[in-house]
Amino acid sequence: MIILKNYIRFLFLAFGIFTTVPVFAQEGWVEASPASQAYHANRFKNTTPPYGLVKVKAMIAGIKATGGDSDIYFRVLSPKNYQSLSLPEKFTYHMIHPEVSSQNCDVPTPILEENLKIFGTLPDTFDEANWSERQLNFLISNRDSVLALISESVNRSKKVGLNYKTAIEHINGWEIIPLLIKTYKIDHKDHDILTVLIQLMKKNDYQPFMTSASYVKLYGNNSTYTSFINHNQANEDLIISRAEAFYNGRKK
Amino acid sequence: MDVKSKVIWVFLLLSSCLFVQQTVAQSDTGFVHIPKGEYWLGGRIHQLNPLRKVSTAGFDLAATELTNRLFEKFILATNYKTDAERFKNAMVFEPGLAEFKWLSDSTAYWRFPNGISRGGIENKMNHPVTCISYTDAEAYCKWAKVRLPSLDEWEIASRAGAKTTYFWGDNMDQIAEYANIWHGRDHLSPDLSDGYMYTAPVASFKPNAFGLYDMYGNVFEFCEGTLKTDPKNRRVVHARGGSWWCSNYACGFFNSLDVGRVNPRASFSNQGFRVLKNQTK
Repeated sequence: MIILKNYIRFLFLAFGIFTTVPVFAQEGWVEASPASQAYHANRFKNTTPPYGLVKVKAMIAGIKATGGDSDIYFRVLSPKNYQSLSLPEKFTYHMIHPEVSSQNCDVPTPILEENLKIFGTLPDTFDEANWSERQLNFLISNRDSVLALISESVNRSKKVGLNYKTAIEHINGWEIIPLLIKTYKIDHKDHDILTVLIQLMKKNDYQPFMTSASYVKLYGNNSTYTSFINHNQANEDLIISRAEAFYNGRKK
Repeated sequence: MDVKSKVIWVFLLLSSCLFVQQTVAQSDTGFVHIPKGEYWLGGRIHQLNPLRKVSTAGFDLAATELTNRLFEKFILATNYKTDAERFKNAMVFEPGLAEFKWLSDSTAYWRFPNGISRGGIENKMNHPVTCISYTDAEAYCKWAKVRLPSLDEWEIASRAGAKTTYFWGDNMDQIAEYANIWHGRDHLSPDLSDGYMYTAPVASFKPNAFGLYDMYGNVFEFCEGTLKTDPKNRRVVHARGGSWWCSNYACGFFNSLDVGRVNPRASFSNQGFRVLKNQTK
């Protein structure tokens, strides 16, 4: 009953374990290049802050499951333990431990030539989890300190993890634009840094960007959360020069 | 086109004629038989759901998403406590939130899917049950002696023979006829443009050519199965079809291609399920 023709490439899919049986795969399917797949994986890397890391990790490990059984799905630091943390330790806790579940559709799938695109929206930071309201509020309430801690960490590691990018965007951290540009220019590879620059200009309603063709393509009526512009030298230069102009105007 | 393909297409054509006018709510206990055959699934450039052909011996899938009415029967018969009631971890929505942001609400569970302050389901017993986790859906299935569809089965059913992103083609322009989704540009303001901000009664919109309602929109439907990107160190589960929350500007998952993922213990007010009859030998 089963006609097996050319199915080898799709053994990795465990879809058909019920009443369906794979028959064959069409030759027309195009797989993302190794460079694109590697870039996709790199986009999801977070930065682990060093501040009180051992202590924070131990406290997270000590959280009792809220379900009363051995489930470890929802581990939230108790108010008492949370308050006992210093500000840098709280920052570490938030950067490595999201407290609530995230909606299941917001995980961008790998796409073709991902490494050659500048997206309008950052991917989901923590897989199936997200920062809770108290965590988001902490970032806002301690904005200056959070930006200082991120700057210190980025200056040391020369990387901007996805958690840092998301936090910068959330707290509208425009002051960090020069550091973002400096870090991007180290190897010009992390195009999501350009996405943060774009998001900051959008968040601050920076007119030269809001009236640009890039804005229409990324956030216009025909856009989606996966909209992108191509990465090329001209687009890179334009984003950086606009972000610098926005920063210089804002800091006055 | 071989004889088998012709038979399938004639069946689909007749089905669509039968169901095209049938947009009024129907019973929440009906099943649709998906015929034995070979079906195209996936997309040419979709990296998690590649284009391929599968065969099925046929199966019976619920015509509608599982309703609050049917879930209540399960609760009354078993005294089952859902994960949201046990963990107090349900995630709810209200207009004003940024894209992809949800609120944690300890009062929310299936009877109050967006929290007590946003009202209960007393007058929504014919709406899909929501604010239940994958684990809760599994518990229901065990009790009702049914199961969740596999990812492939769900896609066969949703496509109704089509190879395109939507069961009517590749352009989403007909989505409003078939699905309760979010039409607003963002989620900062309420969207009632299709009559519903949250869930709609099951079968309020047109069915697909198989006679299945709400395959897109209304609620994300839990499925069985794994993807190559699933983590090794923890379990994730998958849901398909998009929901009332989904807009084309946000995730746009109201189609036959995309596959969402979520924590198996998480409860959202846009997650539900439909069931598949166990095969009888």
